[in-house]
Amino acid sequence: MSVGSLTAPEVGEEALDPDAGAWDAIPSEGVPLVPVPIEAQLNAYVRAAWTGRDYGRSGPVELALARHGDRLLARLSWDGSAVPPGEFTDAAGLLFPREPGTAPPVTMGTHAEPVTLWQWRDRLASQQGLPSARHLVSTGPGVFRPVPAGGEVSARSSRAGSRWSVVLAGPVEALATGSVGVAVWAGANAERAGIGAVCATWVEVAP
Amino acid sequence: MRGTGRPVIERTRMGEYGANGDTGEGAGAPGQVAMVFDLNKCMGCQTCSVACKVLWTREEGEDHQWWMSVNTQPGLGTPKGWEEMGGGWLDGQPVPGHQPGRAEFGGGWDFNYQEVFYGGTGSSTHLRPIDHGDGNTRWGMNWDEDQGGGEYPNSYYFYLPRLCNHCTHPVCVSACPSGAMYKRHEDGVVLRDESACQGARFCMEACPYKKIYFNYARNVAQHCIMCFPRLEAGVAPACARQCPGRLVFVGSADDDESPIHKLVHQWEVALPLHPEFGTGPNIFYVPPLSPSRLHEDLSIDEETPRIPPEYLESLFGPKVHAALDTMRRELARVRAGGQSELLDTLIVYHWNDLFGRYTTDPATLDRSPGRVPVRFGRSPSTPTTS
Ligand code: SF4
Ligand code: SF4
Repeated sequence: MSVGSLTAPEVGEEALDPDAGAWDAIPSEGVPLVPVPIEAQLNAYVRAAWTGRDYGRSGPVELALARHGDRLLARLSWDGSAVPPGEFTDAAGLLFPREPGTAPPVTMGTHAEPVTLWQWRDRLASQQGLPSARHLVSTGPGVFRPVPAGGEVSARSSRAGSRWSVVLAGPVEALATGSVGVAVWAGANAERAGIGAVCATWVEVAP
Repeated sequence: MRGTGRPVIERTRMGEYGANGDTGEGAGAPGQVAMVFDLNKCMGCQTCSVACKVLWTREEGEDHQWWMSVNTQPGLGTPKGWEEMGGGWLDGQPVPGHQPGRAEFGGGWDFNYQEVFYGGTGSSTHLRPIDHGDGNTRWGMNWDEDQGGGEYPNSYYFYLPRLCNHCTHPVCVSACPSGAMYKRHEDGVVLRDESACQGARFCMEACPYKKIYFNYARNVAQHCIMCFPRLEAGVAPACARQCPGRLVFVGSADDDESPIHKLVHQWEVALPLHPEFGTGPNIFYVPPLSPSRLHEDLSIDEETPRIPPEYLESLFGPKVHAALDTMRRELARVRAGGQSELLDTLIVYHWNDLFGRYTTDPATLDRSPGRVPVRFGRSPSTPTTS
């Protein structure tokens, strides 16, 4: 998918707030999502537990990008879980290819073609000590590892009804290939790891 | 409840298997550490549970965690109704399971101390757990203690200590998408690299024994580590060493001379719990004998044990009947004035006979911070004695 209108204009620090007016002037695109394929799940347990179970129905995600100095800011907005979190919380992520020509993000990367993942997670009351955003490398559905010294990724979120707005911010080099992907996990449906929704193709960002 | 010096469990050594798709089939560790619990001697005192709690689960997010727990059987146990939650292997395929949540484990309560002791209402307010709305005040680790089964005068119960079985085919390892879980080749202990754990909790679903807990504060799953830092120093796990009933054997089932080998393989009186779950547990139990039932007129029914054999079969499989027969036969031999190596083994005349090669007294170890290997703990803290 090529989204010609998606650019990453320079903005002020206030754009770290997903409700900042600065985002009103920045073009956004609705990115459709699909379930991460069940056959792509890497272990037999996950395949056995989720075959025939509905998941990955989130999206589309309204995506807008901006820059603030050496930081890339991405605002994601989508309809999240309507019920309060139980065992699992809503989450969203940005995927970036590490090399040009990396296969589409629908499997969240592969062992041969790792992708960068910036992940935001809603937190339970007991989880307030945890960071809301993590800088990860993904080599398959749910195969996430922290990136040592990968540069700080931060997130701020707001919620209106069941609609989340989240700004993820991290090192601008992540966008070096000019492509980005989106993933969403519906906490109320126990979605996590490789069980979630992801865009089927990379979204191209105009230089 | 902070700063107990519990190690951050990280993958520190080679020689393990794990990661996606690895069922562990055929990968049983040659030096697999095993344990045998003689249920005829367990009095449900929970000393083992507390020994483990004090040593391993005193930090943030671990209040509700009891890696070692003792429940009354029959009962719903912990987590509530765990035997019906699925998981394990069937015909070589993993069985989908339910992930027990906070309410099903229960426990880890906060109490209204402030209200009772300082709120000026101490004479009218009762001490009670505070309900945070997550259901955890309606169950707990030992909630149905001593309820048991049967009808008076034939009511019955016994105690069942449970911990991770460090299974030969650990379905938890296979279910972990991030490859954080692994089974060590050198002793078969099943561990989790907490720095790689993403909190996905598929391990909790897949484990049929429901012996994995979730640390909500740190977003990692946690379970019994078989006291591996103690094993490496020749010290038996805390639950075994602290048991006042002297009923917990530790060692290798492969060592022909070990009590574990004799109880499991030679006399076949020590059996795994729910063998039908298919994971090949390495924790074994000598099933409980029981007194005879009473007839309605309160005369003794010599033919029928108080604990229904079919109930024991539902826990330990069909081999339980032969195991109980062997025990009864050996008891009869001793009552007739004979000798029984089996009973002598189960009596445990010498405490250290329980522990195989793990007889080192932890009090004799050099425990100065500089002597604690890095992988054992957060330097410069010192492990707790137990
Ligand atoms: S008891 Fe459960 S957690 Fe322990 S090794 Fe077996 S399957 Fe894994
Ligand atoms: S410490 Fe020993 S006697 Fe007490 S509950 Fe545990 S296994 Fe049973």
